[in-house]
Amino acid sequence: MPFFQKLHPFTVLSVAIAIVAVTTAIGNVWVSLAVIVLCLAASAFAGKILKLVALSAAIVLPAFASQLLIHGLASSGSLKLTAEGLSTATALGLRTAVLVVAGLLCALIIDRHQLVAAIDLSKAPPQLGYLVAATLFLLPQLAERQKIIGEAQALRHVHFRRGIVGWFQKARMQAVPLVLSSLEETSKRAPHLAARGFPANTRMSRLRTVPDSRVQRAIRVSALVLALIGPVLILIGLQFGAVA
Amino acid sequence: MSPNLILAEEHAGSTLRRNLLAVAGTLLLVATYAALVITQPTNLTDGLGQGVALATFAAYLLAALLLLAAVLPDLPVSTLTLIPVALALNILLGQFVGSVMVPLYLDSIGTVLVGFLAGRRAGAATGVLGTLIWSLFAPTVLPFAAGAALVGFLAGTAARFGAVRRVYLAPIAGLVSGVLVGVVSAPVAAFVFGGTSGVGTGAVVAAFRSMGDSLLSAVTKQALISDPGDKAIVFLIAALLVYALPGRLSHSYEFVRRYKVLGKRGAKQSA
Amino acid sequence: MSDKTEAQQQSGVDLKLRGFKYAQAKQPILKDLELALRPGTLTVITGSSGSGKSTLGAILAGMLPRPGLDSLDATLVVDGQTVEHTAVSSPRIDTSAWAQHIGFLPQDPGEYLSGIRETVKEELVFSLENRGMPREMMEARLQSVVNQFGIAHLLNRDPAKLSGGQERLVALAALVMNDPQVLVLDEPLAGLDSVVRKAVLKTISSLTMTEKTVVVLVREPIQLSTQADEVFCLTDNTLASGIRTGAPRKVDDAWTKVEAYARPTSEILLSFQTVSVGYGKNSPPIVENFSLDVRAGECVELTGPNGSGKTTLLKSAAGLIVPMRGNLSRNGKVGMLLQNPNDQLFERTVRRDVGYGLPKGRRSASKIEEVLEQLALTDLSDVHPYELPMSKRKLVALAGVLVHEPDILLMDEPEETLDQRDALTLGSAVQTHTDSGGSVLLTVHNAKK
Repeated sequence: MPFFQKLHPFTVLSVAIAIVAVTTAIGNVWVSLAVIVLCLAASAFAGKILKLVALSAAIVLPAFASQLLIHGLASSGSLKLTAEGLSTATALGLRTAVLVVAGLLCALIIDRHQLVAAIDLSKAPPQLGYLVAATLFLLPQLAERQKIIGEAQALRHVHFRRGIVGWFQKARMQAVPLVLSSLEETSKRAPHLAARGFPANTRMSRLRTVPDSRVQRAIRVSALVLALIGPVLILIGLQFGAVA
Repeated sequence: MSPNLILAEEHAGSTLRRNLLAVAGTLLLVATYAALVITQPTNLTDGLGQGVALATFAAYLLAALLLLAAVLPDLPVSTLTLIPVALALNILLGQFVGSVMVPLYLDSIGTVLVGFLAGRRAGAATGVLGTLIWSLFAPTVLPFAAGAALVGFLAGTAARFGAVRRVYLAPIAGLVSGVLVGVVSAPVAAFVFGGTSGVGTGAVVAAFRSMGDSLLSAVTKQALISDPGDKAIVFLIAALLVYALPGRLSHSYEFVRRYKVLGKRGAKQSA
Repeated sequence: MSDKTEAQQQSGVDLKLRGFKYAQAKQPILKDLELALRPGTLTVITGSSGSGKSTLGAILAGMLPRPGLDSLDATLVVDGQTVEHTAVSSPRIDTSAWAQHIGFLPQDPGEYLSGIRETVKEELVFSLENRGMPREMMEARLQSVVNQFGIAHLLNRDPAKLSGGQERLVALAALVMNDPQVLVLDEPLAGLDSVVRKAVLKTISSLTMTEKTVVVLVREPIQLSTQADEVFCLTDNTLASGIRTGAPRKVDDAWTKVEAYARPTSEILLSFQTVSVGYGKNSPPIVENFSLDVRAGECVELTGPNGSGKTTLLKSAAGLIVPMRGNLSRNGKVGMLLQNPNDQLFERTVRRDVGYGLPKGRRSASKIEEVLEQLALTDLSDVHPYELPMSKRKLVALAGVLVHEPDILLMDEPEETLDQRDALTLGSAVQTHTDSGGSVLLTVHNAKK
């Protein structure tokens, strides 16, 4: 884990972008599988392989099922399983899987506070860091409040009718207090945030340091260049290969 | 010398820059969509297919980011603090509502709420930001950012022209928005992922395909089945939530006051 | 080369307020008052809840009027600059620049904290970060403020997990980090135990020693009044100068009276027998082997520091949590008032909220009116609950509990956020409840002597 902590969040992200772009452009089953295995290995190194597998499976499996239905089963005009359709579905499934596994790996190994600090210190608008941070930290708070509201409503001895009307009553009793209290809170918080200088009108500074180095900066630049140019070169190469 | 306590008026130059960004983002989106519809690439997994996938992904994401960059600096602090709450509500209310009801997504209640309260720019920003943050949990949503921006934008536009003044108008506006959003998002599902995110929607697309539709038109038809209904319900829920707010709160948003979003009821309260 | 008195004049604040009216209000909440705040002085402004104290604080802080909404007719001289508000137009104030001169700490310190930083240390420097201050300068500033407040032990804590007192200290420190010349503190001592109270008082006097201007807004005159250079009382929408009121009537009185009504021989309504409760099977119990009988006509207070499990016990009594071990029996209908009334309110008017879930009919309607009357809410029955101050919202939530005619009334920190008059109303409602043979179990945050 200490290894990943030494990385700038943007280094991780730009490398991931390059890998996903190039792998997608190559579009080879074995290359894609190799990249996925590599990502899983990296997550094992960070001690998060189980989480990565579970999260990825939850997204990739339904998507793959959909792709199988659409291409494997229903290739234009008929409803039968074809080998060609199956290979199309596999290629598409792997394309999705590479994106999901690489993306989630980033999310798992990047520390959220470091990511926010990196955004704050970057040239991105100063509002962005706040919005990312506030959303990530509000989510568990509001989830907790929703639970308390549920308890409060249970205490009011309200009996819901069955069916759609009851469902609607229940949804309203959950949603209205949650929305009311959280909107009121934000409207109270806003002037104080403004008083504390948000949004910054100059480049922000951060007390927290985000590890960086010349090597990392070089890696970032080359990864982004690779992400832009790599696919173009590969695709041109593939076209020539197909012609020849 | 102490800083000046009064805010200076805005420079026309910075507004121009932002408008240019918004125009560039919209043009990119429209051009990409037009190119995809006109060329209708058929093969998804040979060299060209991968190029189309990458280009669509990149163009849709870039368009969304341009739109975000265009509106973000304009938003007042009260809207900026509203957005994170809206994004959390997208997820929480979506989960709660979605877990009980039929298979709709209902994941944009917060975005629509922001559109209703703070206008189309804020709504669009909320859509993009929500997608960016949600992509930390599900990277496949990233290219759908432009569609999410459209949801917020249309919600704000609808509110501005009075669609929230009567509760029954909101779902109608939602229906129309759903059509547009479905059409705009379909190429992403078709050309980037070659399918949808779930089995149910996948089966619908497969059914259209087996009847001889092209992939794009099959996915678009599926989107036209799910999206308008979904957005109609979302707009209705968001409108009811806005009506549940006390006037003191809803009228603290300048957008609500200026365009009389809540109509007579709101006017009566502020009197 | 200005002389010292002129410099002092300039760095203070002068307010000449002719009127302030909130957007949806019919009457101005403040009118015809003048304040001249000078460096090195402490000004105490007292006033009951709803008297406009916090409004005055927010005006001083440049947060009111909200453009396009409220109307303020006033002249402010801040840092040598004159800012002119008229009833029809107000200049757009740069709150950030204003805050570098006048800092305002709201009543709820949680509102002041950004809530998005991992540690207290980072929360403290939030405003310096926004101004792009270099890291070394932030470190130095942090060091001096931390020493002044004695909060070195909190620096690496999660700001969301501080106790109420710690949160207030941290928020005050965050305000001082900005180094404003004038500090306006809204109820800086509310809900603090004596140790933190002392720390805050010490900080306030050290601030005035360093030529800062401090304004304290309080409900009741406190120890501070003796150190204050000036004490004002906010009544009838304006400042009455120099009035030093006598000892405040303590809110506690309402409770002590109620407790005297305990009838130890009556029927047991709620009984804990060696009960252990906690959240989930895998976590250790929060309360172990707790035994208590609550009888009809009795009002029992649970006291203890934060985190001691008071709320957990109430929730188990209400049936929200099933005890892990032991016996818990209820002999009657249970109603519970939660700590935060916002979690219980969701209708558009007070009357509808109170009546929610009751069968329709004349009997329910008269019951609702009766409870509204009992809690002095009749005049407010058509108002949206969220238009009311927290103190009243709590009574509305209580009304929603009382209409169901519970035998056992559970209340989590009912006194918190209640102002004096509403606390008395609550006290008499509790008494009516116990008189008619009900029982009450409530939690109190600060153990009373």
